Amino acid sequence: MSDSAARPTPDDGYAIVVEGLTRRFRRQTAVDHVTFRVARGRFFGFLGPNGAGKSTTIRMLTGLLRPSAGDAVIEGARLSGDLLALKRRIGVLTEDLALYERLTGEEHLLFAARMHGLAPAEARRRTLELLEFLTLADERGKLVVDYSQGMRKKLALACALVHGPAVLFLDEPLNGIDPVSGRVVMDLLRRLTARGVTLFFTSHVLDVVERLCDEVAVIDHGRIVAQGTLDEIRAQRELGGGASLEDVYLKLVAADVTREDLSWIS
Amino acid sequence: MDLLIALVGLRFRLEARAIAGSRGRKLGLVVALPALALFSALSALAAFALVRLVSRADPGLLLPVLSAVATLVGLSFVLSPLFAGIAATETHDLSRLMPYPVPLATLVASSLVANLLQPTVLAQLPPLLALALALGGPRLPLAFVGLGLGLLLVIAAGQTVGIALHALSRNRRVHDRVLFAGIGLGVLLSLAPVLVLSRGGSAARRLLMTLLERDVFVLSPFAWSARAAVHAGRGDVLGFLGWSAAAAVALLSAVGLSTAIAGRLYRGELDTGEAGGRSARARIRLPGAIGALVEKDLRVSWRDPRLKAVTLSGVVGPLLLLFLLGQGSSGVGPLQLLLVASIAGLGSVGSNALALERQGLGLLFGFPVDRLVLLVGKNAALVVMRAPVLLSLSLAALVIAGPVVAPAVATVVLLAQVLASAADNYVQVLFPIPMPAAGRDPNAPIAGTRGLAAAAVSLIAMTATLAVIAPFAFLAWLPQLLGETWLFVLTLPLALAGACAVYFMATSGAARLLVRREPELLSRLRGDE
Repeated sequence: MSDSAARPTPDDGYAIVVEGLTRRFRRQTAVDHVTFRVARGRFFGFLGPNGAGKSTTIRMLTGLLRPSAGDAVIEGARLSGDLLALKRRIGVLTEDLALYERLTGEEHLLFAARMHGLAPAEARRRTLELLEFLTLADERGKLVVDYSQGMRKKLALACALVHGPAVLFLDEPLNGIDPVSGRVVMDLLRRLTARGVTLFFTSHVLDVVERLCDEVAVIDHGRIVAQGTLDEIRAQRELGGGASLEDVYLKLVAADVTREDLSWIS
Repeated sequence: MDLLIALVGLRFRLEARAIAGSRGRKLGLVVALPALALFSALSALAAFALVRLVSRADPGLLLPVLSAVATLVGLSFVLSPLFAGIAATETHDLSRLMPYPVPLATLVASSLVANLLQPTVLAQLPPLLALALALGGPRLPLAFVGLGLGLLLVIAAGQTVGIALHALSRNRRVHDRVLFAGIGLGVLLSLAPVLVLSRGGSAARRLLMTLLERDVFVLSPFAWSARAAVHAGRGDVLGFLGWSAAAAVALLSAVGLSTAIAGRLYRGELDTGEAGGRSARARIRLPGAIGALVEKDLRVSWRDPRLKAVTLSGVVGPLLLLFLLGQGSSGVGPLQLLLVASIAGLGSVGSNALALERQGLGLLFGFPVDRLVLLVGKNAALVVMRAPVLLSLSLAALVIAGPVVAPAVATVVLLAQVLASAADNYVQVLFPIPMPAAGRDPNAPIAGTRGLAAAAVSLIAMTATLAVIAPFAFLAWLPQLLGETWLFVLTLPLALAGACAVYFMATSGAARLLVRREPELLSRLRGDE
């Protein structure tokens, strides 16, 4: 997989260490020599326009897609090494919500808990608690195929949490979730980081990222174009202290948002 | 009229684009069009010959026979949305056009016209013309008008059923049941020729003759236009007008019913209710990750109508083979039983169990479970799902060859399944075949995935598996050959244990291969590459 030059070393202070991570699909380079580090217990926002390479990066970091080059170490487990060791340490919420549609929500969560090696009694306890916490308890007997998009998202999030991972990769976790559940999830994520869990988080809702994340990286056309705290990025880009994350983001991805008015709409 | 033309044009553009976008579909069209033309020409010849033959043999039978044929054709068109699976009734889905300010009747009419212009429908015109010629002679135009009314009625009735199925499919539970019923009916009908050609055929022939003698098919609206054409041919204008009027009323009723169903459906008045949930606490009773996987697979397969149909129809093949062997002069003996048992076990090759996880595969590969455990769990689930094959063949062996041979047959089926699963693990990891989306036929082709290469790989895997099965099946069967059936007590456990040992050795290798190829396998099955 990797070039020998890009071999990150495990570091006690960092939960995620990424060096030169690259993924090519035929002629297109989706992720191009991405390098960054995330300290343990940090809330790390990973931003970028559609198709910038966010989901591809997450799939590589979680062992679901082999990098064309580069490597990463997650909580001491090397991506190019024992993938099972890596998967024991992480929880993943992917963009495509990998779920079994013909299981009920409760069965699904119970299955995920058992596949993570939890004892039956513990699996049951955590399943019920998570269903209750994410307001899915009333729908626990419904098949996933009958769930709304928001319910599916909450179930996938529960599956990512059930084994108590050290690092959570969350691809658009708040997308499609109702405001009440969104608030519950955000509070939970905050509490998790306070307990030392590292969060790798993508979202298009920039004010949420601004409120939650300690640090952000912006990826555009497969390359990291900025990384640091919001203040650091503002300083790097010579933006005033009042500039919001949205202002910073639009400048970083060089987005032109001015358009001609549609005069025919009365 | 402009709207109608635009809507029909839109449907054709969408269909043309779907064909142009897929090499497989283009190739399919190149093969299908000449085949359709040939079928149409042969049908025309057959229709002409049928009318002439019946007219000469027994003119009184002409009306009942044509009524029966028209009913059969009508029913096949009407039931086609059911056989094709509800997903295929998307052609009847008008919901995407509902936001536009177009009258509902125009939408239904456009769908009807577009259906009428389909190649499969146009291919019915030559047989109709041949029928009209045979029936009408000089009164051909009149007879053709009558038969044309029948074609319109068939298409309109098919559309009514399609829209009704589409309405029902809004409730997932009803959708699943209708889908399963359609698949089951299709399997039963595919077995009908075998049953007709066997001993059951004479009873079916007697029943058909009774129905024809009593002219029961006169009650079928599909028969009315055929009767109009016959009367036109005989110069009975009053009879022609009467039956034509009846067919026209049936046609208008079908169109009206389509419009009414569509109207109620898309305005939300045809509420089929929400799918309910299970109230009992969920449990996973089997221990460990293997147990969890087996239970998950059993539940998913039982609740997915297509997977359930694939599982259950796996029983049909071996039993049919046994039935056909039983039709021979010597009947089914122990050797035939051994053969069927070995072949029945081979059904596990090509199961494509990992791909059947569909989007769940990403989740499955995300679990920190030893890949040997994962493969064993998937294989164990498949063996349990194929238990009906084992049970039915054991029962057949019990009836045919007695209680001594039945355990041997069961053992051979089981060891063949176990060894076939081991071979299938390699096929799945080395030659993964992407799966159509959930709800679609699991065996449906995806561009570039089910070609000759895939068939060749399956064939090689089956041959290799048969070669591996042979010594164990021989060991299991040895007491029968020696006439020392008490030896089964020793040979059956030995054969099974040997097969299990080979299975674990082979599957360990497949698991190591899976670890190395896992991300590529996921990419391939997700269609990323």
